[in-house]
Amino acid sequence: MIVAERKPMVEILASIQGVSRLLVVGCETCVAVCLAGGAKEVAVLSAALRLALRERTSAVEILERSVERQCEEEFNAPLAEDIAKVEAVLSMACGVGVQTLAEQFPDAIIYPALNTQFMGRPEAPGIWAERCLGCGDCVLGRFGGICPITRCSKSLLNGPCGGSSNGRCEVDPEHLECAWQLIYDRLARLGQLERLYAIEPPKDWRSAHDGGPRRTTREDLRL
Amino acid sequence: MSMAQRLLVLACSRSAGEALAALEATGQTLPPDVTWVNLPCGGSVDVLHILRALEAGAEKVWVLACYEGACESLEGNRWAEKRVQWVQALLQEIGLGPERVVFRAISPTMAADLKAWLEEE
Ligand code: SF4
Ligand code: SF4
Repeated sequence: MIVAERKPMVEILASIQGVSRLLVVGCETCVAVCLAGGAKEVAVLSAALRLALRERTSAVEILERSVERQCEEEFNAPLAEDIAKVEAVLSMACGVGVQTLAEQFPDAIIYPALNTQFMGRPEAPGIWAERCLGCGDCVLGRFGGICPITRCSKSLLNGPCGGSSNGRCEVDPEHLECAWQLIYDRLARLGQLERLYAIEPPKDWRSAHDGGPRRTTREDLRL
Repeated sequence: MSMAQRLLVLACSRSAGEALAALEATGQTLPPDVTWVNLPCGGSVDVLHILRALEAGAEKVWVLACYEGACESLEGNRWAEKRVQWVQALLQEIGLGPERVVFRAISPTMAADLKAWLEEE
């Protein structure tokens, strides 16, 4: 899922300064699952904003909505009426959802309420961790299902580095396992250690964002 | 919702609720500007309950739940305290006093303490 967290309240409050009619829109997909931007978080943020603004300025009217997937225009279409009524929209979706609203409603002022962080998964209750950088040329099959690009702090394809110690990564031993230790252990378990004799060639990063903004076209889905 | 109330108490019925019942059995009543809500467990306190109460005009919110190790649902009291701490941090972020939300551990036998806390508040 795409993992995000709420921006600091000062930043959110600064962005909506002077706004008296506001729409807060959540998204019920990734950001709802990582407890950052679903209907519940919309209700909590709106309550916090009402409390904050009651103390500081004149009353503010806040509409609360959440859509199934803010990154798809079909789901946002029913927001049109509410967007027309407000001075600004605070989106609690990931950056993709925020941009979808901005593209779809070109006259609306849209502010992000979240910082979009990474593609990852919940490792334990309350802990989400990065798993994929979307490099566009997945190598997981060669590395025992552990991504060296994302999980090794140095994105080494021929690791480990000299900083791997007791299974921990030197960059942040407290929080990070050494991806190359994980790769070694998993390949050993799978009986595939011989894979590590192969030298990985330099990666062609053109398939990643380094090659510019990406798009995928499926001609079979187009008329 | 309107709540021109001084204090909202979100109470675990198994500890705080019992303490209040014991207090009431002695003929005491809650001050009129205190709203008491019994919940099945401290763990059912939600951050939104607290925020909505403040939004509705409550000056303070207390969350009362069992002592560590005494929760019949095992960890409801710890969740209650976590949620109070979360709201306190949020209040701090928006420039409101975190002391407006208070967590207190209580047991069914603490009617006298409950009375004293209410008098102090
Ligand atoms: S190799 Fe690329 S696509 Fe595969 S998990 Fe890693 S970053 Fe993601
Ligand atoms: S210690 Fe392991 S994870 Fe960290 S940078 Fe070195 S090889 Fe990568």
